[in-house]
Amino acid sequence: MKKIYNYEKSRELFARAQKVIPSGIYGHQGPAEGCYMPVEAFPFYSERAQGSYFWDVDGNRFIDYMCGYGPNVLGYNDPDVNAAADAQRAKCDCVTAPSSVMIDFADLLVDTVATADWAFFAKNGNDVTSLAVMTARAHTRRKKIVFFRGYYHGVSPWTQKIDYPGVLPEEVANNIYLPWNDFGAIEEAFKKEGDNIAAVIGQPYMHGNFADNELPAKGFWKHVRSLCDKYGSLLIVDDVRAGFRLDLAGSDHFYGFEADLICFCKALANGYNVSALCGREHVKNTVSGISFTGSYWMSAVPFAAGIACIEKMKRLDLCGLLRSRGEALASGLSSAAKKYGFDLHITGEPALPYFRIADDPTLALHQEWVAECVRRGIFITNHHNHFINASLSEADIAETVEVADEAFAAVRERHSR
Amino acid sequence: MNNKEERALAFVNMYAVLGALRKLCLMDEEAAKLAGEDISVGISVKDGPEATLVFGGGRCEVRDGTEKCRIKLPFSSCRKFNGMIDGTVTPIPSRGFLKIGFLTGNFTSLTKILESYLRPAPEKLSDPEFFRRSTLLMLNVIASAAAQLGNTDSVGKASASYIPDGAVEISIRGEESVWLTARDHTLSAVFDRPDRITAFMSFDNLKLARDIFDGKANSVASVGTGGVRIGGMVPQVDNINRIFDRVALYLS
Repeated sequence: MKKIYNYEKSRELFARAQKVIPSGIYGHQGPAEGCYMPVEAFPFYSERAQGSYFWDVDGNRFIDYMCGYGPNVLGYNDPDVNAAADAQRAKCDCVTAPSSVMIDFADLLVDTVATADWAFFAKNGNDVTSLAVMTARAHTRRKKIVFFRGYYHGVSPWTQKIDYPGVLPEEVANNIYLPWNDFGAIEEAFKKEGDNIAAVIGQPYMHGNFADNELPAKGFWKHVRSLCDKYGSLLIVDDVRAGFRLDLAGSDHFYGFEADLICFCKALANGYNVSALCGREHVKNTVSGISFTGSYWMSAVPFAAGIACIEKMKRLDLCGLLRSRGEALASGLSSAAKKYGFDLHITGEPALPYFRIADDPTLALHQEWVAECVRRGIFITNHHNHFINASLSEADIAETVEVADEAFAAVRERHSR
Repeated sequence: MNNKEERALAFVNMYAVLGALRKLCLMDEEAAKLAGEDISVGISVKDGPEATLVFGGGRCEVRDGTEKCRIKLPFSSCRKFNGMIDGTVTPIPSRGFLKIGFLTGNFTSLTKILESYLRPAPEKLSDPEFFRRSTLLMLNVIASAAAQLGNTDSVGKASASYIPDGAVEISIRGEESVWLTARDHTLSAVFDRPDRITAFMSFDNLKLARDIFDGKANSVASVGTGGVRIGGMVPQVDNINRIFDRVALYLS
């Protein structure tokens, strides 16, 4: 039997944080947006991390399936990436004139990503999705952007909804929301508004929260591509979440189509803070004319880390590795669920699995199971996809399945058939 | 960020503010006495809500339509009706002139008691029982207002469009629960427990609930402390919470 964790120090720190930080921990890594239910089951603060694990401030070790919500792709504290970052830090980082390592990084992305003829660097996914939308509007001189319901493209007002605090109706007035995988709906939207549509923006598959993740229907992206071509709109792939985990050449390449603009962040530099917008030659001039920059966007250390990360991902055949690890995990969890009579749905691509116990449409059973796993040292979240990283070992997966088995047993005991 | 919409405000005033007379009569002895007489007041608002307040036996209930009312108050616009609620418009009945004494007497007294709970003098809140009643009444008003705004306010409707079917329990632990049901993105406030609850939002105590209602505390921040607990079909809670933000605007 696994030890049940407690989080005394996390709670003490959180009480302190609440006095000086809005919500204590805001955003997706906080207890509200992170869907910590019940909140007592979850740690709030980490002490250190290595490989596939992090240790919280109470000394509890977790096998981490959130990977910092994606950036940890090779394993925390990867020695090769850290060595490259350290070497660059010894030379220069945030300096008046950027380091030439920026060009090396752009060259590597152009060589690696199928659709990339150039690369523009920033810090977060939101920076580059925003630049992509501005680019599309500048390039086409049109206003409207097509989204697929269930999307997440960041937190700028244009990405949010009319009912979100602080968002003006005018900021979302040009958003067109369409159902995912609906060939007819997008065709209809282009027929009606095609001359006003600057771009379609979409994640490579629907990895929205609270619902099973949905891969693109056969021919869907090609259909979208052809509509964009017909009406002169740009196609933006937001590969911030899935980027490099499916295909080092980009998730559009993985699904057999070509974006005009593609956004990367999370897995780009194994936790060093950099994001990139890559695109095709025909929009490069437009991007050149856009005023878009930030204080730390040309810091050299993350560029060096990114180069080391991409080179190592290539050496490891990362995407094949993540797929096989993800499939092994899915197989083990499914068997454990079946043993206790639970119908565990595992959807999305194996490198980014989304879990849902489908026996209870209210999701309450699922929330119970997740809480039991976390209390025993497997960090998963309730309603967000998970991330596999290269350091996740077969032994880690075996331990995960063992814990999941115990967690299923605990839930089954409370809810007899 | 949109301003109040007159029609949505009329629905809030009808079903949440006047609708709170139901709860008021159940919790306040003086109000129950004023609702002793069998009488009904229909309120018909052009391009807005139409409902009847039915009094009798110490209770009050709100029914849709005005066909069977004894006293009828017609309003030519939502703005005029909203003016009656904020005291700037005096209604003239089109039916039930002989019963006008109820309007100027018991009905006016009832609305004054209601106002004393919903906009209490700060010193009255130091009385624990008054504090309790006022807070529970607010819970009822907020739930009813959320349902109306989810159905009529342009921003509220956007939130409701993301709410899956089901019933959300909103409760103050150890005190009271109300429920918001969603069906095809139409919301209803319900005061009897539905057969099946699909999500919940629970305030740990009256004080915290009050602070959140008054805007002194934030429900998102309170999730981290366990002061507010959520669970089940979270998109229901999340989007209802967004409508609560609109409720605060409309009831301010």
